[in-house]
Amino acid sequence: MLEVNDLMVFFENALALNGLSLKVDEGEIVGLIGSNSAGKTTFINTVSGLIIDMRIKEKRKGGERISIYGNIRYQGEDITEMPPNERVSKGIVVSRERHPVFQESSVVENFKIAGYLRTKAEIKETMDFVFTLFPPLSKLKTRKAGFLSGGEQQMLAIGMALVVRPKLLLLDEPLLGLSPMMQKAVMDAIVSLNKESGITVLLSEQFARPVLPVVDRAYVVENGMLSLSGTGAALMNNPEIKAAYFGV
Amino acid sequence: MLTGTILYALINTAILALMALGFNLTFGISGVANFAYGAFYILAAYGIWGIVNLLHLPYPVAIIVAIVANMIFGALMYRFVLLRVRGQALSEVIATFGIGLAILELFSYFGWVGFEYTLPVFVDRSFAIAGTYVDFQRLAILGFSVILVFCLWWFTHHTATGLAFRGIAQDERTALTFGINSDWIATLSVSFGAGLAAVAALFIIPLGSIAPGEGYDVLIKALAVCIIGGLGSTGGVIAAAFIVGFAERFTDTYIGSHWTMIVSLAAILLVLTIKPSGLFGKQKELEERI
Ligand SMILES: Nc1ncnc2c1ncn2[C@@H]1O[C@H](COP(=O)(O)OP(=O)(O)O)[C@@H](O)[C@H]1O
Ligand SMILES: [Mg+2]
Repeated sequence: MLEVNDLMVFFENALALNGLSLKVDEGEIVGLIGSNSAGKTTFINTVSGLIIDMRIKEKRKGGERISIYGNIRYQGEDITEMPPNERVSKGIVVSRERHPVFQESSVVENFKIAGYLRTKAEIKETMDFVFTLFPPLSKLKTRKAGFLSGGEQQMLAIGMALVVRPKLLLLDEPLLGLSPMMQKAVMDAIVSLNKESGITVLLSEQFARPVLPVVDRAYVVENGMLSLSGTGAALMNNPEIKAAYFGV
Repeated sequence: MLTGTILYALINTAILALMALGFNLTFGISGVANFAYGAFYILAAYGIWGIVNLLHLPYPVAIIVAIVANMIFGALMYRFVLLRVRGQALSEVIATFGIGLAILELFSYFGWVGFEYTLPVFVDRSFAIAGTYVDFQRLAILGFSVILVFCLWWFTHHTATGLAFRGIAQDERTALTFGINSDWIATLSVSFGAGLAAVAALFIIPLGSIAPGEGYDVLIKALAVCIIGGLGSTGGVIAAAFIVGFAERFTDTYIGSHWTMIVSLAAILLVLTIKPSGLFGKQKELEERI
């Protein structure tokens, strides 16, 4: 479904991704494990196309130069230079790190804004589905998103991505800063989206412990380079991974 | 006299809000301070005048053509001028102000000035309300500004484009992740702002005459109202229009018309001293807290 070959990304002269290659097959959950500033967000943004927008904006205001080399293929098509809104129409939807939501808008309104490409009926249908997936949200429909807790905002952010009806869902550190209970709720929801709704998932995380047991395969990135990859189970038993990414 | 003053203060408030809403819409969504806004206002007025008096087409046709033309002109200005300097606030201001200046000075140069350059009032009648005479045009402005605020609210809460406007205004990069095209939305925001300038002209110009100098006046008033309100906030525009609208009329009546300008300026300074981000400058405050 997704095939990334030799991806290199420079911010000015600093190399953020160095020859990364990765593959996601339809129906898989794939993990991208890496410590802080390993390049996870840069990778996710390059696949979602946000980096294309960043590059244009930086260029317009004479800011830093962003260069992208290598190629990204999605369902057989080269999308390396495709603008983000076209990728969204093709089913690549990202939920960015730190669960950004529209703070001034209510929970329901956040869904409505996210449903820009969908009909009112489709938005309503997904919204009801999200409320069953994340029951705590259903009691907060009229609450301003800025007043939600971090975990609730994360649920909302994932729910908003679902409203778009993704085929490939990119999740950038969905567990960051959540309590263990919230982490479990979010992880369970991700698995059910994959198994029951058939959504292909690529998710990034700093810590391997909650991720490896549920992913089909995972890639480990260090300093923008691939250091290891394999099935979730194989990586779980790898002593290097245990030492570096299992935390305490 | 008090009820009369209050009535005229309300009308003044409506005029100020009408003048400021378009500028505010554009700024609130795309962050573009459109300094050609006053020129768009005048352009639409001359456009309507020309279509009626030179082309002899019916007034309603002239109105529609002028609004649509203004919207197209705004969109073209975004695509061909603003897009090149996007993100550099100063360049955006210089570019739009330059365009506005060119338009207004061109009209002066060709001598389109005088009492014959005016637009007709909708209905030539006056009414006595609680002992004060008010003409139909001013009542129309009052009624329409209320309707317009409601329409804008409805548009931004119940249509996909309006909701996308609010999304882009709050968090552009997140809006992009839902397939919203930020350049298209920004184009629309400048275009709608220009269209609202035409609408404001069509209601307000009949109270006086069309003059290039009015363009600067409208820009300054729109700016003042938007800055007091906290740039980009519709609630702020309404509150600020009330403050300035009432301050002006009450000074006029009870102190003297030569003080009007000073009192409004004092109101601006006072608000900005107490709350530098404007009355409803919420977004700013959030940023400051983070
Ligand atoms: N906009 C940017 N400008 C310059 N350098 C950046 C930018 N974004 C990320 N980087 C750099 O790229 C590297 C990867 O960062 P990032 O992708 O955010 O890592 P992660 O998400 O894994 O924490 C880091 O060294 C970071 O400093
Ligand atoms: Mg990151």
